[in-house]
Formats: sequence, structure tokens, C-alpha cells
Amino acid sequence: MRKAKKNNVVSTQETLSLTRIRPKITWFWFLLPSSIIMVVFFFIPVILTLLISGTNMSTTTGLTGYQWVGFANYKNLLNYPDTFRKLWLTIRYVFLTLVLFNIGLALLISLITTHIPKKAGAFFRAIWLLPRITPVVIYTFMWQILAAAPPHGIINTLIFEPLGLSTTNLIPQYPFFFIVVVNGFIGTSFGMIIFTSAIESIRKDIMVSSLVDGASTLQRIRYIILPQLRWPLLFATTYQTLSLLTSYEQILVLTGGNFGTEVWALWAFNLALNNYYGNFQYGIGSTIATMLVLIGLILSTVYMRFFKFDELVQEPKIDVL
Amino acid sequence: MVKRIGVTLLVLALFLISSVPVFSGGEKEVDTSVPDEVEVNLWSGNAPPDGLDRYRALNLVDAAESVMEQRAAAGEEITINVNPVSDPAGWTDFKRRFNLAAEAGEAPDIVACGHTDVALWGNLGYIVPIADSKEEVKAMYPQFDDVVDGLWDAVTWRDQIWAVPQDTEARPMYYNKELLSEAGWSDAEIEELPDRIKNGDFTLDDLIETAQDAIEKGVVEPGYGYWHRPSSGGDFIQYYKAYGGEIYDPVEDKLVIVEEALFNFFDFHRRIVTAGITPKNFIGTSWDIWHDTVINGGVLFFNAGTWSWGGWSTNQAEGGEAEMFERFGYALQPSGIPGNPGHTLSHPIVYFVTSPKASDNNYQDLWIELVANMTETDLNTRHALLSAHLAILESQLDDPDYKSAEFLSDVSYMSNYNYYAPQHPQYGQWFDALFQGMVSVQQGEVSAEDGTQETINRLKMEIGDQLIVR
Repeated sequence: MRKAKKNNVVSTQETLSLTRIRPKITWFWFLLPSSIIMVVFFFIPVILTLLISGTNMSTTTGLTGYQWVGFANYKNLLNYPDTFRKLWLTIRYVFLTLVLFNIGLALLISLITTHIPKKAGAFFRAIWLLPRITPVVIYTFMWQILAAAPPHGIINTLIFEPLGLSTTNLIPQYPFFFIVVVNGFIGTSFGMIIFTSAIESIRKDIMVSSLVDGASTLQRIRYIILPQLRWPLLFATTYQTLSLLTSYEQILVLTGGNFGTEVWALWAFNLALNNYYGNFQYGIGSTIATMLVLIGLILSTVYMRFFKFDELVQEPKIDVL
Repeated sequence: MVKRIGVTLLVLALFLISSVPVFSGGEKEVDTSVPDEVEVNLWSGNAPPDGLDRYRALNLVDAAESVMEQRAAAGEEITINVNPVSDPAGWTDFKRRFNLAAEAGEAPDIVACGHTDVALWGNLGYIVPIADSKEEVKAMYPQFDDVVDGLWDAVTWRDQIWAVPQDTEARPMYYNKELLSEAGWSDAEIEELPDRIKNGDFTLDDLIETAQDAIEKGVVEPGYGYWHRPSSGGDFIQYYKAYGGEIYDPVEDKLVIVEEALFNFFDFHRRIVTAGITPKNFIGTSWDIWHDTVINGGVLFFNAGTWSWGGWSTNQAEGGEAEMFERFGYALQPSGIPGNPGHTLSHPIVYFVTSPKASDNNYQDLWIELVANMTETDLNTRHALLSAHLAILESQLDDPDYKSAEFLSDVSYMSNYNYYAPQHPQYGQWFDALFQGMVSVQQGEVSAEDGTQETINRLKMEIGDQLIVR
């Protein structure tokens, strides 16, 4: 009997320790796939980029004949004649595209389409998805045709000419406007989906009771909906900032970086991989890429502070069953 | 955590360092004997498979047949399977692809690309020298002896011959004869223009003045007086040279920048905008629109290569080449300094033979023999006529087909006023700095003075002791 009791004690202890370990094992297996992806496709490339930024690697040296130059590329980056012009362009481009389209317009569309009949809302949101599902080259080419000078350009030929307005290729004329709009129309759909699903997941009783309590639609948006969008707003703002900082494909296809539209990411690409005579400068290109990663990390931290990330991830004070 | 990151960084650093060749070890005996059946790969850049430059690659088919026949006649049977690739990618993409392939040992055996890659690729060991001197290369094959002598200078680097010319060209300034006539020029004045430019009697300043006058008279729309190339390209060196710019010091083997010429080059490109003869944000205009506009849209002066003539005659001018002759004239690029003759840049396309390291084989002698057999009068003339490129062989100048090509005959004198970009591994960086500086000044982002200083500072920073500032 005593022996049996002892066995029971051991058995209970084993069960307890397994219970403690199992969640840990589950946690590990759940995170493993994404961790591998993060390490292989983000962490290692960042480290390699960082290492290459400390070399003079270029087509002059080849991929094996480079030398370590320490922080020389970072010093050179400060001395490039147009470093700060391009940085200012990048800041304006990221900020305006983010505020006007990726967050601003996305939020507006989400709010409007969740306040009209469901089918109509879904229809309008589907239209806003078109820029994202269209291949980048075709989408950008459509903009080029829209903006081209007559007889090639649609806006000039169908609108400006009949109105007697002067015509010209509109992209070189308003290059900054076009890079913001072309990118913004694609970026809008991302935030729109996130915000819409967040709005629709707000509990119906809260939404309805606010109206019963006499709140207007605008008041409900201000005091009920927006406070509950802090999480998706933080996510969309951070994700889209990083995306805008480092993506350049639309600008590359639309203007090639011409007309003063060479943002830092495109500049890094052009220096490292897009020189007319094939003199690719991997070292300085990696330096700019590293700086972009650094800027992205700093901005992400700022966003987390601004949106009070610590509070968002706190355990709920009361459990809702 | 910090320790782990440190270890990871160390491993990656060791990985990179280990990729640096330290000692190559003793030289191995290399077996260069060619098997009975062999495949040859050729890449030709910036050339759509059905485009006007397709014979840069397709001439390999004829050359391989010739070599097989010659070998058979000598009692040696060999089968050469050819894989000529005309790559539609632009030069930049093509070179990026080639560089990566060469680093991986997967480059093609023969490459058709610009002569300015000699120093860059030679320096990296991607290509092999063809001969140690001009005399030696001419003695190798009768076809090489037939190559116009001056063209070997374009492929000479550190006293060795590194490639074989495939074609060459001039980059004239074209003008619309109808518009000049409407602006009040007599037929005789229009006909005299090429000679005036050749003699230094019509300069870049005169070009601005003439275009402004045509706009004021309402003959030409504002912004349509002068269109240069709309994207980066070797042509822009012509303006720097027009103001006395030097590119290279052969004694020092260094690149050169002449401050005054650089300023004048930038200033000219700003003035054409402020004078209203060129649009402000012009660089970046699409090539399709550019070609259509210069031929059908009423542009007075414009710059392009001779090869564009072939494309315009085929694609833009409804009346073909006859209409082109009727409406357009061509001349050298005007000088910026009165009294100095006009000039033109030539940028020959050449055949490179890749090294064992780059293409992982040792049959370079056979590849050179194939290149020699591509350097034939009939093959080069076929290419020249189709693509409006100039002859590279002395025998082509006597070829009845070549002689009957009116445009090519007309512009052949330009070879006497031409020059080449230099052979220096960092020429691409030098060129890029000048082009970027020009664009900033032309768009009004900086003044010509500031643009000049910024560009010189950038050149000093990027090229360092390989640069001489004058």
C-alpha cells in the first residue's frame, strides 16, 4: 500500500513536469518554421549586407578580390553630393504615401465600406484590390500610358486637348506626385483589408449600444472604432513604413529614378546593380541598404512607443469567457 | 545572446574571408585538346533575337560551318554545335548577368559586348587576351589583318589585344531639313551644315541660337528645338569632349577630369533647358516616344547613333529610307569651341573570348578561330547593312553591297573624326558621376558651378588616386 502510494506520488510529479515542458515544446515547434524563414531570408542577408558594407567590393575588385575598408563607405555616403537630397526625397515619399494612402485612404475606405450595405462595400473594396493584383510592370505601364503626351497619352488626348489645355508628358512634369500616387494606390489595399477586418470584428453589441446611447456615426468612429484599431494601425504603419523605405520596383519601372525620383532604396540598387557600364559597387550599395535597415528599426521602435505597444501586449486584466 | 551574435558574425566573416583566394598553388598542366564534338555558347547583349543586330550572334552559325569545312579539308573531323543567344536585355542587365555567370564559372565561351569592358573584365580575369600586340593579332588570321587598323586601339589594354571588333558606328547630330527650311535657311545653307560643323564653323552655341530662332518664328514648338539621348549612354561624353575635356592619361594610366570642360558640359545642358529648346525633365523620356517624336513630332536637332537610322527607316518613317533622306540630314557632333572640328564617339561592339575560370573550359584557341571566321566580309556587311553600322574591315569598303548603301557611305568620313572611350576598369564610375552631375544641373537641382564641384568631389571619393584633376 505504502509502495503503491509512493508510485502514485512519482507519477503525479512526472505528470506535472510534462505539463510544464509540453507548452514549451509546442511553443518551439510553432515558432520554428517562421524562425527559419527569418534567419535565412532576413537575419543572414542583413548580416551579409552589413559585412559587405565594410568592404570595397565591386566589379572592379570582383566578388573575391575585395578589401576590408572599415567605415569608409559610411563616411563616403555622407560625402556623396546628393545623399541628403535623396534622403529628403525618401522621407517625403514615405511620409506622404503612408499618411495619404497606405494609412489615411485605407482607413477612410474601410470606414466608408463598413458603413454602407455589405455588398456595395465588398464591391468597392474589390475595386481597390485591382492595383495590387495587377502585375507591377503592367500596372505601371498603364500609368505611363495615362500620363504620356499626345497622341500616346490618354489624359492629355481625352481631357486636356478637348479643354484646350496645354499638353505634355505628365510624369516628367509632376514626377513626385506620380511616384506617391502609383505606390499609394497599391499600398491602400493592404491597410484597407487589415482595417476592415478589424472593424468588422468589433463586437456588435458595443457598436449597436453606442448608437442606442445616442452617439452619432462620427462619434462612434471616434470613440468606439478608432481606439480599437490601435493594434492594426501599429502593424500597418510599421509594416508599410518598412515596405516603402525598402521597395523601389514601381519607381524603377515608372521613372527609372529619373526626374529626381531616386529614393535611397533605388539608389542602393542603382549603385550596386544598375550601372550603365557595368561597374557595380556592392560595398556602397550595401552601406545604403544597411542604413535603411537601421532607419527602419528606429522608426519601428518609435511607432511601438507611440502606439503604446507595451500596453497592447499586456495580459487582459479580466478574462472574458 | 551577445556572445551568440558574435559567434554568428565570426562564422559569416570567416565564410567570406575563406572565399578570398590566398594561394593558387602550383600551376597545373592544362589540357587544351578539343574533343571531336564540342558545343560553343555565344551571348550577344542588348539585341532582341529578331532585331536588327541579330547577326552578331547568328554569324556564329556560318562561322562554325566554315571551321568544320576547313578542318575536314585538313583531314580533321570535328562537330561544332552552336548556341548563339541574342539577349534582349539592356546592357546593364546583360552585364550583370554575365558578371555573375563568370564568377560562377558558367559564362558563355564568346561574348558580344561593348569594347569598354576590356579593362573591367580583363582586370577580373573573365576574358583572355587574343594576342600580345597589334602585329601579332594581324598575323594570326587573314581576317584579323583585314580589320581597320585603328579599331585594334579600341581593344588594346596594357599593350595586349583583348577582343576582336564586331562593328563600329558614329553618333551624328541629325537635323530636320524641312524645319530648317521653314525657319528661313536656304537649301544651300542646309547642305553646307555638315561641312560647317566639320570645320568648327557651327558650334553648340550656334545650335542653341538656331533652335531658339526656329521656336520664336513658330516653326518649332517650345521644348522641341534640341533632343539629346533621353537616357544614360556614352553619347554624353561628346559634350565634355566638345569643350576640350580629356578622359584618360595613357602615360599615367589614370582617368582625367578637366574642370573647365566639365563646367561647360553641364552649363550647356542647363542652357538648352533655360533657352526653352529642350524640356526640363527630359532624361527618362521613353525611347519609344523619343524615336517617334524626333521623326514625326517636329524636333529640329537631335543626337543618335548611326544604327538608329536603320530603325527609323524601318519603323518610324512611313516612306522608308527615301523619306528619311528627303527630310533629315546628319553631321558630326558640333564642337563647343569655335574653330574646333566636329567629332563623334565610336563605341565598337567586340567579341570577347572568356577565360577557363569564367566558362570552365580550355578551348579558347577554337573560340578565337570561330571569331576569326565570324570576321568575314560578307558576314560583317550583312550585319552592317541591316543595322546601319560602319564597316570594320578594309575589304568591306570595296564590297559592292556596302558601297551601294548611301547612308553608310555618307557617314563613313566620320570615322576620321572619332575617338573611343578609354580602357580603364573604373571608367564606368567616372562616366556615371558625370552623367548624374549633368542630370542634376539640367533639372535645376544645382547650379552648373556647384554641380561641377560636387562631381569632382564624388570622382575623388570614388576613384581616388586613379583620378587626375586638371
